[in-house]
Amino acid sequence: MATATEGQLPPLSGLLASSSRRTAAIFASSSVTPFSDELSSRAKLAVKISSEYEAVRELPIGLRQQQGPQAPKQVKAIEGPPPETTRLIEAAAGTTAPQAALTLAPTSNQTPLHRALSVRKQQREVKPDYHPQWRLSRVISGHLGWVRSVAVEPGNKWFATGAGDRVIKIWDLASGELKISLTGHISTVRGLAVSPRHPYLFSCGEDKMVKCWDLEANKVIRHYHGHLSGIYALALHPTLDLLVTSGRDASARLWDMRTKAQIHVLSGHSATVGSLLTAPVDPQVITGSMDSTVKLWDITAGKAMMTLTHHKKSVRALAMSPAEFSFVSGSAGGNNIKKFKLPGGELVHTCKGHEAIINAMSVNSDGVQFSGGDNGSLTFWDYKTGLPFQHMDDIPQPGSLDAEAGVFCSTFDMTGTRLITGGADKTIKIYAERTQ
Amino acid sequence: MATALASLLPKPLYSAPVEEEEEVEVVQPTLALAPRAVIPPYGQRSGWRPLKADDFGDGGAYPECHIAQYPNEMGKKKTAAGNTLALQVDSEGNVRYDVIATQGHREGVRVQSQFKDLVPLAQRTDLSETERQMELPTDDEIAATAERTKAALEKLVNGKIKAAQPKHVPDSQGQSQFIRYTPVQQSGNGLKQRIIKMSEVVEDPLEPPRFKHKKVPRGPPSPPPPVLRSPPRKATAEEQKAWMIPPSISNWKNNKGFTIPLDKRLAADGRGLQDIHINDNFAKLSEALYVADRHAREEVRQRALMQQKLAQKEKESKEENLRLLAQRARQDRVAPSGSRAESAAAGGSGAGRAGLGLADYGSEESEEESEREEEEEEDEEAAKVRDEMRREKRQQRERELRMNNMGTEQRAKMLAREQNRDISEKIALGLAKPSVSKESMLDQRLFNRDALPSQFADEDAYNLYDRPLFHGSTAAAAIYKRGNLGAGNDESFGGGTEEGITEALENDRFGLGAPKNGFQGAGDQEVREGPVQFEKDTGDVFGVDQFLESATRGTKRGLEAEGSDSRKRRQIDRADERED
Repeated sequence: MATATEGQLPPLSGLLASSSRRTAAIFASSSVTPFSDELSSRAKLAVKISSEYEAVRELPIGLRQQQGPQAPKQVKAIEGPPPETTRLIEAAAGTTAPQAALTLAPTSNQTPLHRALSVRKQQREVKPDYHPQWRLSRVISGHLGWVRSVAVEPGNKWFATGAGDRVIKIWDLASGELKISLTGHISTVRGLAVSPRHPYLFSCGEDKMVKCWDLEANKVIRHYHGHLSGIYALALHPTLDLLVTSGRDASARLWDMRTKAQIHVLSGHSATVGSLLTAPVDPQVITGSMDSTVKLWDITAGKAMMTLTHHKKSVRALAMSPAEFSFVSGSAGGNNIKKFKLPGGELVHTCKGHEAIINAMSVNSDGVQFSGGDNGSLTFWDYKTGLPFQHMDDIPQPGSLDAEAGVFCSTFDMTGTRLITGGADKTIKIYAERTQ
Repeated sequence: MATALASLLPKPLYSAPVEEEEEVEVVQPTLALAPRAVIPPYGQRSGWRPLKADDFGDGGAYPECHIAQYPNEMGKKKTAAGNTLALQVDSEGNVRYDVIATQGHREGVRVQSQFKDLVPLAQRTDLSETERQMELPTDDEIAATAERTKAALEKLVNGKIKAAQPKHVPDSQGQSQFIRYTPVQQSGNGLKQRIIKMSEVVEDPLEPPRFKHKKVPRGPPSPPPPVLRSPPRKATAEEQKAWMIPPSISNWKNNKGFTIPLDKRLAADGRGLQDIHINDNFAKLSEALYVADRHAREEVRQRALMQQKLAQKEKESKEENLRLLAQRARQDRVAPSGSRAESAAAGGSGAGRAGLGLADYGSEESEEESEREEEEEEDEEAAKVRDEMRREKRQQRERELRMNNMGTEQRAKMLAREQNRDISEKIALGLAKPSVSKESMLDQRLFNRDALPSQFADEDAYNLYDRPLFHGSTAAAAIYKRGNLGAGNDESFGGGTEEGITEALENDRFGLGAPKNGFQGAGDQEVREGPVQFEKDTGDVFGVDQFLESATRGTKRGLEAEGSDSRKRRQIDRADERED
């Protein structure tokens, strides 16, 4: 006996089968319906729903706005409760919907915290636009020194570069062929601009000279004399015949193009002014300086309207968007590219992701922002959101050192489809969007 | 729940509307915190201190308050206007700490001074959607701005270029003006009216300015903007090290005369900066050279060994050959001597050692036979010696003859060879060894000569030289010998003829001929062949030895001396006689 139990128990399945058969046989005759009280179960469900889900019944106002006017999609219960329960739930929802007593506070009396939270949520949802990738399409080698400035002609036929070899070279944009070399500067050419209303090319250099070239005769016709030290940047006023230059004497100077008279000395920076922007409306001049500030100037008074002290290191690059009234400034270090709204100068966002000394920045009308670093790193950003979509490295031309991979100047052409950069490897590189 | 609570509570007095608290320059209603002054009524002013102008309320001082009072600021010393700002709050009741940053600016200047200026635009709560838009300026705006700016700047430019414009060029002719002048007081003369011509004084356009241009000092700069960034992080040690630029130290200039440590100088030299990179091929080359050298040495050694072996073998074969030859010769010699012995034995005579031994061995010879043999042997010996001497003489003669026939050079060579100084032959034979070291050309013949110090005598002996200078040489002999004396030369003694002799005798002024009567005892002096040889005098010159000898012998003085001896003896004799 003991040995039998010890050996193995009888199989349970057979026992269960027999038991169930017996039960079926007993209850087969009596047809009793299962207990189901429609009313009570509905009440139970309603109570449950209201206690547990009432708080999230309606979306917050911000989310609702974001989702738009259309109704929220029906939730498909894939593996939910049995169909009866689902029906009950729907019924309960239908019955409770008119009862507005327990709904959350309407939009009129939202608390500031609520609003702030909703705004933050909204902000998080901003998505960058799609931009195709950029690739190097052409390398032009012709300069004998660092290419420090580049400017595209308004007609988009040619562009000019100025370099450390003191020569300004004019290249055909389509073919990349050299059209002419202009000599006259006795030091590095740091700034170039082509006037859209005159046949003039303006150039400035570290030799304290600002020259106005007549492109019909390819001769210097004017000099703007007054800078006390090397000139690092040059810009033309978009609507007036004005010329702005800035340089190592910590000042920007406003010149009348025709009379060569110096209208204003925009002094206020405490270090080299290395970058310049002009705008058609106030602030008409924006300067970025090595004292790590950006100043917006009122040129009628010749005084600063505003000083932006957000940057930690010297501001070496400024770029204005052709599509919206804002500008970006770039300096060295991390979190170094900041976008500001115009005309107020409010900080829009900080672009994170390009840890280098930013030497050159450009923005095109498609919302592509380019930043080129001193170490040859290139980053393409979505201008709207400030998110990078492409990181590249400048490849120095063969025969140059690794240290010569640096970008000094950049500009988009007039269509915004090509990016022209000048670098420390003495070449001009043209980047273009990758086409499928 | 919250809504229920909100419904229960009373409505807030100032419901915060959705306001835009954007830029600070937007004029906000500001409230001064200072409350309105309350003047206590008369009789209750004890302890009340009227200090401000409000406390007086357009009236005079309060006599019941015993403090210094300045109603209407009267009598109060004027101090500099304080720049203390009144505390202000904005519409939400927050204290505006940034007033200090905004004050003192021009109209239209914005100052970003609050935390909200650091918040990205999309996350700012105080801006509406329209304010977030960054729309480009419209053409109207642009045109208006351009117009305004152009007007303002044109004014400036015109002012700037006025000097360059030729407006002020004075008329060289002079715009003259004629004025009719009627004096009020008419004098006696008849002139009632005068016409005056008035013209401007012609100015030299190149004249330097008459008044000194005074520089206006610059106005105070605009107040510094609030800095909206964190202060720069302190550089870590690594960063500092990374940025450390060594001071430039010139190897040629040191104007200030600083003492520069040597290591700094070297560092400035840049010697340490460039690491010396040696091509691997150098190592390979030297390795290959070393291996080749080893190989070559090994081969040379092997070859030398082989040559040595060959030479040894050759030598051995030669020796073998020689030995064979010698043996053969010995055998040859033995064979005739043996035959002779045999013959001698047969003929009764033994000659040769072998033969003698053999003869000795087993033969008994008679006395006479041995005697005869001895005699014969002696004769043979003598003949051999004679032959030898003869040969020697002949050789010597031949050599002398040869030497006489030789030239001086040859003779010198010969002499040198005789003295073992000629090495040309050795050179020819390859036996001479060149001196190894070129620095010190030492006479190697002086090396390893142990006899050298022993040849010198003791220090107190004064022979400086170990051997005579011209010892044994013909030159030495020539010095001390009378030249051509008795050499049978024709020229000596006048050629042997009578006239010659007489002539020589006549000419012999110094008596160089044989002395007729020389010094006493000089005749028996032998002819010197070298320098004077002194003999050591072993005789007792001063009688010291004799004295010492006698002293050691210990004999009495009187007994020795002959004279005193006799005297003593006589005295002894006399004493004997008396006794007798």
